Amino acid sequence: MQIQFGLETEIGISRAESRDLDVVAESIALVRSATAPGVRQRWDYRQEDPHQDARGFRVRELRQDTDEANYFAQDASRPLSFSEIKSDLVLRNGARFYNDHAHPEYCTPECATLEELARQDAAGDALLIDCARAVGAESGNPVLLYKNNTDFRGHSYGCHENYLLPRQLPWDRLADGMQAFLVTRQVFAGAGKYGWEEEDRFGGPGFQLAQRSDFFSELQSVDTMQRRPLVNTRDEPHADPAKYRRFHVIIGDANLSPFATYLKVGTAALVLQALVNGAPRERLPRLADPLAALPAISRDRDWKWRVRSAGGRETTAVEIQRAYLQVVRDFAPPADPAWARLLADWEQVLADLERDPGATADRLDWAAKHRLIEQFRAAEGIDAADPWLRSLDLAYHLLDPAAGLFYGLLESGAIRLPFPRERILGLPLAPPPDTRAALRGGCIDRFGPQVESAQWDAVILRDGRQRIEVDLRDVFTPARVAQGLGALAAARRPADLLALPFAKIL
Amino acid sequence: MPDPIQKPRPVAPPAPGGGGGDGPREPQVDKPNTDDLLKRMRKVDPDQAKRYRQRTGQ
Repeated sequence: MQIQFGLETEIGISRAESRDLDVVAESIALVRSATAPGVRQRWDYRQEDPHQDARGFRVRELRQDTDEANYFAQDASRPLSFSEIKSDLVLRNGARFYNDHAHPEYCTPECATLEELARQDAAGDALLIDCARAVGAESGNPVLLYKNNTDFRGHSYGCHENYLLPRQLPWDRLADGMQAFLVTRQVFAGAGKYGWEEEDRFGGPGFQLAQRSDFFSELQSVDTMQRRPLVNTRDEPHADPAKYRRFHVIIGDANLSPFATYLKVGTAALVLQALVNGAPRERLPRLADPLAALPAISRDRDWKWRVRSAGGRETTAVEIQRAYLQVVRDFAPPADPAWARLLADWEQVLADLERDPGATADRLDWAAKHRLIEQFRAAEGIDAADPWLRSLDLAYHLLDPAAGLFYGLLESGAIRLPFPRERILGLPLAPPPDTRAALRGGCIDRFGPQVESAQWDAVILRDGRQRIEVDLRDVFTPARVAQGLGALAAARRPADLLALPFAKIL
Repeated sequence: MPDPIQKPRPVAPPAPGGGGGDGPREPQVDKPNTDDLLKRMRKVDPDQAKRYRQRTGQ
């Protein structure tokens, strides 16, 4: 597997006593409470450009620009600078933790294995839990953090995935090839939701597979906050743009179950690898009406998930996923045992979904949530339209090992993990050893006070009068990473990093 | 050029407890698996979701 990947997760925030809650202030306070090793307020925003479109043009404005301008105007009344409001923390593990307008957001470092991603995602959860405890204890009003994607009032926030791909894969082939995959994978990647929504309003009760499937109305676009697209066209590689593209997936739910995350990211990476390896267009499934299929699959209480293919044939979401699985077998058969196991786990979950969806409750969030809450509903005689179900839904996502319902399931032994628990949970913060994140994290660990700025694709350090840039735009092979780590281990001061071919004086 | 605007057809989920047809069935609901989990669930404030309000994110 050549593709590297990472997650960026926006978190919902509230308090036990939440009257007149200012979610922006809460998010800022939470992020600023972090004591994990890292450098603060040194994120380089000059390198960000969400207006470039992968279809070959630059949009003048995003649909959310007006909203964002209004938010900035509101936030201007706060006695804090832009940098203080964002409160970026770049961590020892190469991750980013910051306030994204009104949500604490944790971005994992770049990972090359699914086990590493599970570790880094769990590290983010642990960081958030520590912050909530600290802020809650100080104020006497517990902080409630929800790793979910909705407030049940039509306000959604995301858990985005990023996949680094070679630029030579044409955008149209990538977008067309992934569309049906992204629409149908909710059968295993959905986090489950009690209720349905439209933009800015609650629609009504009922259970559905995915938190996000109510919020997509475009096939492709560069937007992420309004009229969201199935396939996001943001062209911001955070790497050498001549060689790489970043496939930015915004349609997914935030998963509590590490097994669901493992399937969600692992299957996407395998399908992308098949596309990179030349899987032909005619082998890739296509849907007749992908925008209609997304909520229809999510809301199908028969759990048959029927859809119509572009050729007019009736099929199911599981069959579409199975077609993708066969494409992977033919064009990206994994030699690595870990990826071969992922392929087998994908096949098994599809078989279970077809045979008995409830059998997946040990792996999939939506099935675990549904079983648990329906058990409780039956035991307590709760009406199917009772808003209490939405509160229980929220509690499933609560990042609190003592009170969160997912954590209760985990502790009871009801949840299967994709890797041994001791290899992914409760570990010290450390970067992936085999991606450029190790250099970012290493620079912070060794020379934190001298780090002037950091970004995904560069770290700038000060050494006396010199400004030294470690350029990470093309550090993706094990050899390049090892070269960087060797130089870092030998360096006594930042200027020693100039021995690297990808470091220079600015 | 961006694709033309396409609105998904709103499809409200059927009333909870529905189903039918010849496809897979909802799982049988068993008794709650542990007392601890039941206790956790009883402690959930039924009105928590009513008070929960966030800004739209990405």
